[in-house]
Amino acid sequence: MTGGSRLRSRLDSPRVLGIVLVAPAAILLLGLIAYPLLWGVWLSMTSATLGATGVFVGLQNYAVILADPVFRGAAMFSVLYTLLAEAGKLALGLALALILNQSFRGQRAARALMLLPWVAPTVLSALAWLWLLDPQFSAVSWLLVRMHLISRNLDFLGTPASARASLIVVNIWRGLPYFAIGYLAGLQSISKDLYEAAAIDGAAGWQAFRRITWPLLAPITTILVAFSSIFTLTDFQLIWTITRGGPTDATQVFTTLAYQRAIVAGQLGEGAAIAISPIVFMIVLAFFVVRSVREQ
Amino acid sequence: MLHPDRRRFLELSAAGLGAAGLAGALPGAAGAATASPFKPEKGATLQLLRWTGFVKNDDIIWAEHTKNFTAQTGVPVEIQELNWPDVTPKAALAAQVGSGPDIVMGWNDDPFIYPDKLLDMSDLAEYMGKQHGGYYDTARAYCYDPDVKRWVALPVGVTGNAVVYRQSWMREAGFESFPKDFPGFLKLAQGLKKIDHPCGFSLGHAVGDANSWTHLVLWGFGGKQTNPDNSIAINSSETANALEYARQLYEVMIPGVSGWLDPSNNQAFLAGQCSMTMNGISIWYVAKDQFPAMAPDIFHALPPYGPSKQHSIMNNFTSAYIFKYSKYPQAAKEYLRYMLDEAQAAPWVTGMRGYVTLALKGYAELPIWTSDPKITPYRDSMEVTRFDGYNGRPGRAPAQALDEFVIVDMFADVAVNKMTPKDAMRKAEARLMTIYKHT
Amino acid sequence: MIARNARIYGPLALYGIFLLLPFYWMIVTTFKSQPELLNSPNPFLIFHFTFSHITDLLTQTQYGRWFANTLFVSVGATVLSVFISYIAAYAIIRLRFPGWQAVSTAIFLAYIVPPAILFIPLATVIIQLHWFDRLWALIPIYATFLVPFCTWLMIGFLKTVPRELEEAARVDGASNISILWRIIFPIAVPGLISAAIFSFTLSWNEYLYALVYMSSSGNKTVSVGMTTELIRGDVFQWGQLMAGALIGVLPAVLVYFFFVEYYVAGLSGSVKE
Repeated sequence: MTGGSRLRSRLDSPRVLGIVLVAPAAILLLGLIAYPLLWGVWLSMTSATLGATGVFVGLQNYAVILADPVFRGAAMFSVLYTLLAEAGKLALGLALALILNQSFRGQRAARALMLLPWVAPTVLSALAWLWLLDPQFSAVSWLLVRMHLISRNLDFLGTPASARASLIVVNIWRGLPYFAIGYLAGLQSISKDLYEAAAIDGAAGWQAFRRITWPLLAPITTILVAFSSIFTLTDFQLIWTITRGGPTDATQVFTTLAYQRAIVAGQLGEGAAIAISPIVFMIVLAFFVVRSVREQ
Repeated sequence: MLHPDRRRFLELSAAGLGAAGLAGALPGAAGAATASPFKPEKGATLQLLRWTGFVKNDDIIWAEHTKNFTAQTGVPVEIQELNWPDVTPKAALAAQVGSGPDIVMGWNDDPFIYPDKLLDMSDLAEYMGKQHGGYYDTARAYCYDPDVKRWVALPVGVTGNAVVYRQSWMREAGFESFPKDFPGFLKLAQGLKKIDHPCGFSLGHAVGDANSWTHLVLWGFGGKQTNPDNSIAINSSETANALEYARQLYEVMIPGVSGWLDPSNNQAFLAGQCSMTMNGISIWYVAKDQFPAMAPDIFHALPPYGPSKQHSIMNNFTSAYIFKYSKYPQAAKEYLRYMLDEAQAAPWVTGMRGYVTLALKGYAELPIWTSDPKITPYRDSMEVTRFDGYNGRPGRAPAQALDEFVIVDMFADVAVNKMTPKDAMRKAEARLMTIYKHT
Repeated sequence: MIARNARIYGPLALYGIFLLLPFYWMIVTTFKSQPELLNSPNPFLIFHFTFSHITDLLTQTQYGRWFANTLFVSVGATVLSVFISYIAAYAIIRLRFPGWQAVSTAIFLAYIVPPAILFIPLATVIIQLHWFDRLWALIPIYATFLVPFCTWLMIGFLKTVPRELEEAARVDGASNISILWRIIFPIAVPGLISAAIFSFTLSWNEYLYALVYMSSSGNKTVSVGMTTELIRGDVFQWGQLMAGALIGVLPAVLVYFFFVEYYVAGLSGSVKE
């Protein structure tokens, strides 16, 4: 054996090759995720600002934000926003998947078109929604008034309650297709034989759904919800574009508040603390994700 | 075939040059003839970060003048423009990183957030002040650091706000002339609502429009955010009166103002749905082009005053500062001197129809201000403006308070969320104490 | 039969209206004349058709440049991520090197640290690396949130590939590397396409990193350019904004329209038990 091919056969051993192949991913994630994350934790314990490095202050930033009603409100709304939006996306996405799973004319076009909200860049759709929800110019209000369902334009974004509801609806609008497509994939992997056997036993429709479909969809449900929740909990684009966290900070979430404090107001340390704080929730979510993936 | 904007610019700058010719009559204009004390370094190049113009001619004229500067001095200048609220964070990042644009045209408290990173502008500021009639007090407050006894930035001016209203509807509501004080103003607003043409002032997170009128009302009643020693002074009977007044005003406004961002009042006004709002000259500017039927009915007035009998409004103040890391400080100073000299400043302001009111008192005599009585109210913007965080010191704390809409939210809490003035003040006070304590 | 159609097309129509209304709005606003934007007898209709918003967008802003930037970054990030994920997935599933389980878990954990949490400390890292305002830097940066999901996708997909193929190839003396490329790769194509579609969509959609780390107008992506330069002072250029939104949506839409079946197949391959 020549030196070159001895090297090549060393390289080809599962141990060595495995490490080599995994290295790019590892370096990327270590350098641009793990390291910044640790750095972020450190930053959150300093008084750093844009324009001046700070000093170590321990957990003071965390104490400050926990005492800050704006932060507490943002934390609460982040969780509420996530819970309601995920529930909506799951239910409506699954229902849509059930429809799309049947064969009908225009099925292919329907599947493609239904994906649009998720495929389109969020910021751009958010701008369209901003216009659609405008207190003076909303085409939706115009239509409802014309249909005599309401007498005056709706103030979608002007009160805390309506602004929150509007954002949740837009988030559901945006994420519904993701669930629909995921469920569609899941539904297609369920063997038709199961339904035939159940039909013989007299179970069809809702029964079949409850006994066969839903349980078999459990794994994909977990994956879809877990991944989607992470991104809903840390949503930025949609909220920042439509309400900027207003009115009166009612629609602030972790990320918009962190951005406002760190980038707009220059408080890096405090902003980092706000950004890091949802990690607790994330760890809980991660636990479920890892467990379900292990089960595969 | 000349692009319509360029043609317009040339027409206006011809008018402007006429103004500059008259500049011979302006105080201190003799300096235009003598040589400038700032000599650009050899091989200098500059990078300017400024805000995207609010009206089209702003950018066009500024770019033209910059080209002339390059032609005359051989110093190329690259202009980078950002939407105006984005300039401050980008400048702060440059301060952090220690590299970036040489010159920044920023806003409000910027220079006091990192004064140690900025070049001493005293020589330029004093030179310009002597040439053009001196600076208004607020301009000095924003740019002169009394702690280190030097100018950290060069004042440029304010984007003035005035009340913009439809005269026909004002008359229909029973007013022959625009009310001068708060009680009259409220009566007008109530009258406008009665004839189904309500007014609208933003209570949302509109960086410009929400802050302008809420501070007007706050200061008009004698309320203030801080005392000169930066202690918090917001919790007072004066503030409570201001909040109560604003609540009554909100009741007769067009619905939805608590969700209004900066462009919303422009849109509502130009669509004929809002009869009165507070804004820069941009509404009328756009109307003249796109809504010519409405333009003759649009009028401007200085905002009313409260029991203090003094006009006191918050306009956004823009200043120019140079980073110490700049390799060509002399070139940078000469560029600013050039751009704010009459030959350039006059056509610039004229082309913008007065959108920016300059910080140098001499420029109050520009013909543009009296060329049309509708423009005149904006002339006094620098005179009546106060600095944010009044009556404390400019710096990081008032900047953060402004960024977080503490004052705006206090007013919105009372008007929209139906909080009592007492609770709203307490909430604002708590927030201010946190902000001022640890910055 | 009619009942079945009603059960399908009825709800489908409702979903259609809800999901597609904003896009209809984008189209209509793009082609409406300027005065109509603020004042119209019927906002759903176009009374005076105009191309001016599109032409203004393309000539008066750097939109073309932003579009090219976004395309460059999206394609680059997709290629990089799919490549890295594929080899990592193969290593984890087939090569069982020491510590493979820990690595696998770590990669998934990376997914739970989204950009919105990292963007502040990552900013200082980017600055130290001198990557600030360098467009190409977005490619490795985007890969950080693409690689975890793509790896998971590929792992699930590769699990369904029968081992016999590899064993036969090994008996013939093929090295692991040649198995990786010659045997497995062709079979993995549907999964790879799935991962590529996902990566492209997420890259095209990204906002926060591009907003914070890119600065000059020439380095902006479509989303960032539109929101920072088409909102001048206190005027929303709605016609141009919606024109830009419409054009900005097209690439992702085209990709999906042609590849949606692959995407579904790829996903169902990975979730099959």
